[in-house]
Amino acid sequence: MSLLHAEYLKLSRRRLYLVMVVILAALVGLNAFFFLIFPQIAPELAGEELPLFEKPEAYLLGAQQVAGQTWFPLILAVVMLGSEFGSTVWATALTRDSRRIPQITARFVILTAASWLAVMLGIAGWAVVTVLAAPGEGGPDAGDWLGLLWKVALIELAWTAIGLGAVAMLRSVGPAIGAALALLFVDPLLGLWGPYENVSLSAASGALFEVTFGGGFGAFVPGAGLSIGHAVVIMLGWTALGFFLTLWGLQRRDA
Amino acid sequence: MDLSQPAIKVQGLVKRYKKTTALDGLGFQVPSGAITGFLGPNGAGKTTTFRSLLGLTRIDSGQIELLGREIPGGLVEVTKKVGAIIEEPGLIRALSGRINLQVAADQLGFGHERIGELLEFVELQGDAGRKVDEYSKGMRQRLSLAAALIGDPELLLLDEPLDGLDPAGQRAFRARLRDIADGGQTVVISSHDLADVEALADYVIVLDHGKLVTEGPLEAMLSSPATRVVATDLTAAAAILAAAGIATRVDGVALIVDEVDGSRIIELLSVAGIYPSEVSPERSSLESVFLGMTGESAS
Repeated sequence: MSLLHAEYLKLSRRRLYLVMVVILAALVGLNAFFFLIFPQIAPELAGEELPLFEKPEAYLLGAQQVAGQTWFPLILAVVMLGSEFGSTVWATALTRDSRRIPQITARFVILTAASWLAVMLGIAGWAVVTVLAAPGEGGPDAGDWLGLLWKVALIELAWTAIGLGAVAMLRSVGPAIGAALALLFVDPLLGLWGPYENVSLSAASGALFEVTFGGGFGAFVPGAGLSIGHAVVIMLGWTALGFFLTLWGLQRRDA
Repeated sequence: MDLSQPAIKVQGLVKRYKKTTALDGLGFQVPSGAITGFLGPNGAGKTTTFRSLLGLTRIDSGQIELLGREIPGGLVEVTKKVGAIIEEPGLIRALSGRINLQVAADQLGFGHERIGELLEFVELQGDAGRKVDEYSKGMRQRLSLAAALIGDPELLLLDEPLDGLDPAGQRAFRARLRDIADGGQTVVISSHDLADVEALADYVIVLDHGKLVTEGPLEAMLSSPATRVVATDLTAAAAILAAAGIATRVDGVALIVDEVDGSRIIELLSVAGIYPSEVSPERSSLESVFLGMTGESAS
């Protein structure tokens, strides 16, 4: 518990998390504007390619949009662990071989939880805008809302692990963010290619939410052909890979 | 100072980085309950040794015993008994001094009850709420010392802790270390500043090119089998002593005499009507001992 408390202190006493939450809120606000409000106030400008999200689907489509902000766990993980590599905090805190797995696990748990909380707040914000602004009637049932809890957790888990793995391997915040963002942008594109779709994070995210987009936009969202079970395996696979890379990277660093 | 149960015992330590051999069969012992100075020129292997002791670097061969436990196998047992500062102070600059200590305590599984006492010990109680980013280097070093002491460790490993501190900061830091050692804890301090070690250490380990050059109590290392004699006529004094079969050499205003019995020197000189104004044991400086052993040239 004390390791978790240490990670909580490190995160909660910094401005980083708050700033990232504000940026996430701004992006969610922009998405809400373009998908819920803009097509209603300027339908001729929105055209057919930009779908209008309507109730009840708008809630989960929006949730998927917010959960898709995977830069959040990625950058949070990279910066939080990477900033410790920049100094000798790692060494001085006596984070030795014997304590490495507990230390990494504590970081992993707190950073995943923090990202999950931020995204769930974003989804709540989206839901409020949907209630107020989206056309249509009805909403998801309780099971769908509860499903969001674990689906978002799974996504945050995978991207946090990838962020930690990237910075542990590359040992520097800048290159790690670059590499992780490259994956973030390339993965959805590769996910449109059948063989890679089977391991694509973006495809897995799409499959978890079981949502499809109308219009031409839908053709650019991978994962429609995956089952939820397959999506869970993909997410856990990337989580395991990220965790392994984190441990391996740290072993190499201290060798 | 107790060498019967050394706090650290190292034998045949070898560590290679690609083509460089950082530690080349290094062996030494650190006595318990004393301040040990770990000396060596840059690149001698001081930091690599500290990292090896803490399990932060894997050694290629050799044995390490820390507080009676073999390393790395016994790290779990000794982690909580060792405090360390490796190179730069390991602090999170975005957090306050007090929160840094809370994090250090949490990471090692200690309570927060000693934090107030430690802040007072390192004289930072008035600045505990400020961000470490706003601290001077001396304040950061003292906070690091407090962090290293959070678990009341038996052994404190400090890598170049006085580096970059102003004279007042060095004096304050040395005083804190002396207090710690007087409380029975073992302190190992690495430095390339010989004056730091001479002012502080009870025991000295000198290494060069990854090998042990010498180790022993500081006093024994600095004492010399000679006597310093000051007299008005050094030439006449030297002649009298030479006639008695005692070799001498002139060192500024004094004569260095190869004889430790001061009363005999006084007797020989006074018989010849020479009354020395000073007869004292000759004491080497750590610098001269170190430079002589490592073959370094003074610059």
